[in-house]
Amino acid sequence: MGDEVAFVELDGVGMTFRGRTGAYQAVRDFNLELSEGEFFCLLGTSGCGKTTVMNMLAGFDAPTEGQIRLEGRPVRGPGADRGVVFQGHDSLYDWLTARDNIAFGLRLRGMGRAERRSIADRFLNMVGLAGQGGKHPSELSGGMKQRIQIARALANDPRMLLMDEPFGALDAMTRAVLQGELSRIWSENRKTVLFITHDIEEACALATRVGVMKRGPGGTLKAVVPLDLPYPRERTSDAFMASFRRVHELIHAEIHPQ
Amino acid sequence: MNDGMMNSRTATVAGYVLGFALLFAIWHLASQYLVRSVLFPSPIPVFIRGWALIEDQLLQEAVIASMRRILQGFLLGSAIGIPVGLAIGSFRPVRLLLEPWTEFFRFIPAVAMITVSVIWFGIGEESKIFLIAYTTIFVVVIATAAGVGAVGRDKIRAAQCLGANRFQVFALVALPATVPYILTGMRLAMSNAFVTIVAAELVASNDGLGKMLWDARLFMQVEDIFVALISLGLLGFATDRTFRLLIRAFAGRFNPTM
Repeated sequence: MGDEVAFVELDGVGMTFRGRTGAYQAVRDFNLELSEGEFFCLLGTSGCGKTTVMNMLAGFDAPTEGQIRLEGRPVRGPGADRGVVFQGHDSLYDWLTARDNIAFGLRLRGMGRAERRSIADRFLNMVGLAGQGGKHPSELSGGMKQRIQIARALANDPRMLLMDEPFGALDAMTRAVLQGELSRIWSENRKTVLFITHDIEEACALATRVGVMKRGPGGTLKAVVPLDLPYPRERTSDAFMASFRRVHELIHAEIHPQ
Repeated sequence: MNDGMMNSRTATVAGYVLGFALLFAIWHLASQYLVRSVLFPSPIPVFIRGWALIEDQLLQEAVIASMRRILQGFLLGSAIGIPVGLAIGSFRPVRLLLEPWTEFFRFIPAVAMITVSVIWFGIGEESKIFLIAYTTIFVVVIATAAGVGAVGRDKIRAAQCLGANRFQVFALVALPATVPYILTGMRLAMSNAFVTIVAAELVASNDGLGKMLWDARLFMQVEDIFVALISLGLLGFATDRTFRLLIRAFAGRFNPTM
């Protein structure tokens, strides 16, 4: 590492929630460095604390221990440098059209209408929804709404993208299509991505590295598996299967503890 | 899709026309064959009397007097209720301080306030406007505060991640997301306003539909009573339809139950 500053640094990060029923340690001693342009999948069982890690990096929750830094600067609260794609599509603005949803961040910055429109249309096009910009979220399917969310986050041109099981609520076929699209978009723009999932195949299809978490409470990083496979990933190839098996073995011990 | 909408609109209008025709037919039959009393006239003399009152401008005067009070009080009550509801929903200290008020006053019906309002404001316009505003405020406050509380967490977080400051989160997310709740509260308040105005005009007034009812009772003009009752029903019906259209325009996209 030397004195080179990592793009994202999670340094001894821990999170303990204190409630009426006492303290609950969701994450402990979490250490991770992400380099710029990588697609990192954080994989873990339900309740392992992976969403807590993302919420801390997004700035929604402040860690109770350790520090998170983006390009050397400590993360304090949410900001436009970290775009977030949420699991549910409740985060879209129902009263705005798809195009206005995508342009929302640009509007916050005071960009003019014509410019907003042309940028929004470019990103509509990128997520395969050209010509659908005038529709409202209620007129779009679940998969289309997640495309809008991705376009909205990217149109704001953040330094990195945080995705919290964005395809978790979709049917298997739509999910596979969107995974392919996301890989293509990422290959084109090489935004740094932290992608949360509990789906091994999804992690292996998307990631440059997969981080496997220990089960909660007190979840932490168990191992990091680099995946040196070309995109688009061939899911039936031997190399893909081998990666899948390796990640599977790591997570299996967390699902079925002795 | 356009055809379907046209058909459903035609069906709605046809339903209204036939529904009212059926009501008047039953009324007519009941008065002719069931009750046969001068105290329960058939709709035909009522309509004739209604037409005479319209020709003499008397019905219009009564309707305008009552509707003006309703609208003035309703707008005043909403103008106070909406910001108070927004403040209660947005700021915990305000809620803790003001919620006891709303919970207390909403159980003192406006009808019970007629006496004090006449003592304070006399039998002129002020007392009626006060009563209508009073009956409007608490319903609107409660609906608005509930609406602010129901804004999805992810909607607010998404805005923060797109760079929204606190004011932008309020003005561009919380407020538009609350509009359907506000309109629903106003719709409920409007039906309360109709109850209140009649009671207020019955007790103390120089004009309006309530006064018309009272005078007709004094002089045993049964047809006039029915004309006033039908006018109230039609006015309330038309006002409520207008509200439903407004709610649809603002909120129907994401709340088809309205």
